[in-house]
Amino acid sequence: MTRPDPRKLAPLATAALAFAGLILGSPAATRASEEPPLLAERVAAGELPPMAERLPETPFVDPLDRPGMTPGRYGGVLRLLMGGTRDVRQMVVYGYARLVGYRPDLSLAPDILRTIEVEDDRVFTMHLRPGHRWSDGAPFTSEDFRYWWEEVANNDKLFPAGPPVVLRAHGELPKVEYPDATTVRYTWPKPNPTFLDELAKARPLYIYAPSHYLKQYHANHNDAKTLDAKVAEAGVRNWAALHIRQGHLYKNRNPDLPSLQPWVNTTHPPSDRFIFKRNPFFHRADRDGRQLPYIDKVVVTIADKGLIPAKTGAGDSDLQARYLRFDNYTFLKDAEKSKDFEVRLWSSAVGSRVTLYPNLNVADPVLRELFRDVRFRRALSLGINRDEINQAVYFGLGHAGNNTLLSSSPLFDQSYLERWANYDLEAASALLDELGLTERDSQGTRLLSDGRPLELIVESAGIATEESDVLELIRDSWGQIGIKLFTKPLQREVFVNRVFAGETQIAVSKGLDNGIATADMSPTEFVPITQDHLQWPKWGQHYETRGRSGQAPDLPAGRKLMELYTAWYDARDTAARTKVWKQILEIHADQVFTLGTVSAIPQPVVVNKRLHNLPKEGVYSWYPGSFFGTYHLDHAWLEPKDGAAQ
Amino acid sequence: MLSYTARRILVMIPTLIAISIIIFIIIQLPPGDYLETYINELKSQGEQVDPARIEYLKEIYGLDKPIHEQYLVWVWGLLQGDLGYSFEFELPVSEVVGDRLWLSMVLSTSTIIFTWIMAFPIGIYSAVRQYSAGDYALTFLGFLGLATPNFLLALVLMYLANVYFGVSIGGLMDERFIDQPWSLAKVGSVLEHLIVPVIVIGTAGTASLIRTLRANLLDELQKQYVVTGRAKGLSPGKLLLKYPLRIALNPFVADIGNILPRIISGAVLVSVVMNLPTTGPMLLRALQSQDMYLAGSFLMFLSLLVVIGTFLSDLGLAALDPRIRLEGRAEK
Repeated sequence: MTRPDPRKLAPLATAALAFAGLILGSPAATRASEEPPLLAERVAAGELPPMAERLPETPFVDPLDRPGMTPGRYGGVLRLLMGGTRDVRQMVVYGYARLVGYRPDLSLAPDILRTIEVEDDRVFTMHLRPGHRWSDGAPFTSEDFRYWWEEVANNDKLFPAGPPVVLRAHGELPKVEYPDATTVRYTWPKPNPTFLDELAKARPLYIYAPSHYLKQYHANHNDAKTLDAKVAEAGVRNWAALHIRQGHLYKNRNPDLPSLQPWVNTTHPPSDRFIFKRNPFFHRADRDGRQLPYIDKVVVTIADKGLIPAKTGAGDSDLQARYLRFDNYTFLKDAEKSKDFEVRLWSSAVGSRVTLYPNLNVADPVLRELFRDVRFRRALSLGINRDEINQAVYFGLGHAGNNTLLSSSPLFDQSYLERWANYDLEAASALLDELGLTERDSQGTRLLSDGRPLELIVESAGIATEESDVLELIRDSWGQIGIKLFTKPLQREVFVNRVFAGETQIAVSKGLDNGIATADMSPTEFVPITQDHLQWPKWGQHYETRGRSGQAPDLPAGRKLMELYTAWYDARDTAARTKVWKQILEIHADQVFTLGTVSAIPQPVVVNKRLHNLPKEGVYSWYPGSFFGTYHLDHAWLEPKDGAAQ
Repeated sequence: MLSYTARRILVMIPTLIAISIIIFIIIQLPPGDYLETYINELKSQGEQVDPARIEYLKEIYGLDKPIHEQYLVWVWGLLQGDLGYSFEFELPVSEVVGDRLWLSMVLSTSTIIFTWIMAFPIGIYSAVRQYSAGDYALTFLGFLGLATPNFLLALVLMYLANVYFGVSIGGLMDERFIDQPWSLAKVGSVLEHLIVPVIVIGTAGTASLIRTLRANLLDELQKQYVVTGRAKGLSPGKLLLKYPLRIALNPFVADIGNILPRIISGAVLVSVVMNLPTTGPMLLRALQSQDMYLAGSFLMFLSLLVVIGTFLSDLGLAALDPRIRLEGRAEK
């Protein structure tokens, strides 16, 4: 990597070009006068200002700097399939207009914001882009931030428990100031290192709201009578419910709600087909100064989840990964021959796809004692033949190993993946013997200290056959070390409630959501801070409820993890955070809290052959990737069909 | 007859009250409520939800109140014609059901017509020509129709229709027509998409109808009056259609009570598999997500139809068959 990277130079040059274009009306500006077909008529009729006036004064300039990327052509319709009306919010994930956003390399960069200044992770000064507008043309200014903070987040009807909990750094809320129309400052007394991450998430923290639109539903700005009439007409409980429903930027259901995303919903639910049209005031432009997105419309068709692979195979989607699973790959690859799409395999960011979670808070005292003994967990792990699972279920395309960070994470270490993850029945048996589990019944199953056979019930909420296939293989190898495994599928609500109550012995589910974490991301998935962690639900509950219920971590390793969690928040720079992370990962590798099987299972992504500027290989993840979000779909473009007029 | 009718109508009221209570209890039976289900689904996809926010949403949705209070609110709304509010769609139930209701009716009515058109001639034929080669062949086909799982047939036919005729998979119309005003092309697209579901949903119904009709008709054809009629030289057509067929129809009239709700929400399984924009999948989804007012109001509506349907078929039977009228009086 010693040769100079041309990509690093390109943005500077193009930014300079774009700048010159704006000032001097150079050729770049003449290209910018080409209006997208969807808007051309309205611009010609004078209903919309021309492109140069619709863009902010300093737009976000997309350098189009990945290899093979080209400036696109305007127009076209992108068809997507989703599994339910609820999925309309995925357009906010795919659109990925954020105050600050992740790049594909997981660095953070301003997006909606022009710049942001951060002092000690404590003072965040955000500068908006002058001239930036909501999709309805109203200016987007610090007033929208003020409205959200003062009249929404701090309104006891809209947020009775106070502003979102992620805005509390060490329990304290920020001081929010609005020095001028394009500046907003959040100041905390103590560092809040996750603030930017929250703003960049797939489901972002919204600290602004379209005030000009939402004021019509707010008690501060309406007399009780008109507001009551609106509430009655909508059939909701009170004005707060109406305000929440109409103003939900993430749910994205209300077509009248102004947006900052590249495409804006225009369809009133209920419907099975949602049409998203380009936001005429979107803040990004390509390196020639042409406003993005290239694609005019996105059509989201709602179909049954089970039917989506079939519909995709029939060519009904131009870009599909959601609801496609690895086991659809062969079918799609076959359909690829006759249809005009190609199937790409992206990597997934999920840790281990099928992961077992021995419940450290299980109610059964004998099993609890066992699960808490690290030797037992190690024996269970050594008794899993991961290579066999990889070959039999995933055609050998995954990586056998623990449920830990993936090799693409900068924090990865081979030993985290492999420690206690080799298949060694002798060593496993020796560990179990050491624990005193030497007695066996007539079938060769080991006996617990109270005489019961060592039978473990693995509960699952999944309907995927994948889980049961993997468990079947584990049952074979555990049987050889004298442990009997039973599986019990449950409905998801029952499943989680049983885990929370300690009735579940071992839960099976997917592993880490974010297997590509960097040191600057909070290690939330590795420390007991929520009862959703299936291996220590009560410890998590204890933290979540600030000690009111649950149970404090009572193993040294658990306490150590909590200390490290605090240490991560106190760390002042990336190097210090890396150190904390390494310690956490080390504890996990050593303690085997979760039993991973196979990770890095590829994700099939179906892409229309006419769709350009989307990478051949990428990472498909909810967090931090926002699925296609960090790859910026707004610079993808569609080639016209053969013979179609340009 | 009048007092009988009045009594039947009065009995409906306690029946409906009992049904409403049962419906509400059954919807509440699974653990958790709409919000818990919703939040678990979000979490399973990696989203985080603020616990303080959940409490607040519970309050907004009225889920923090005791069950009997929720029930009374719901029933009070129903009495005033307010079907309640769908959590999932964030809209009043009546708006959610909207279009789906009559697309369901189109689908079910076409299916019923298809069933009758197929079943009546075949049923009559196989009764009149009992044990002929034609009877055996049609009986075989009928049993095949009964035995084939609907959803499997749906998948196979859908695939074939896509590969050979280019009909898009799933749905009741081409995607580009959804939410568009009605036009000739849209009607054409709907008709094109109706064929497979109608055949799939119709097969089992046709088969059982053929069997019932054949058995009933066979019973009648052996009766004395038929023999007498034939001896008197009545034409074979009249001899078949005038009396035996009419009596063989009794079970179908009795079935009206079932047909009415079926028109509104028939063939849930096939509709789910084929992604039809009918009410069946919506009801299923509402039950799964515990969207209780949507599910409850819809079930209540179906129950009302069953009750009315049963009432109508009782009246119809009494009108059609004097024996039923007379027996009813004799009992008094």
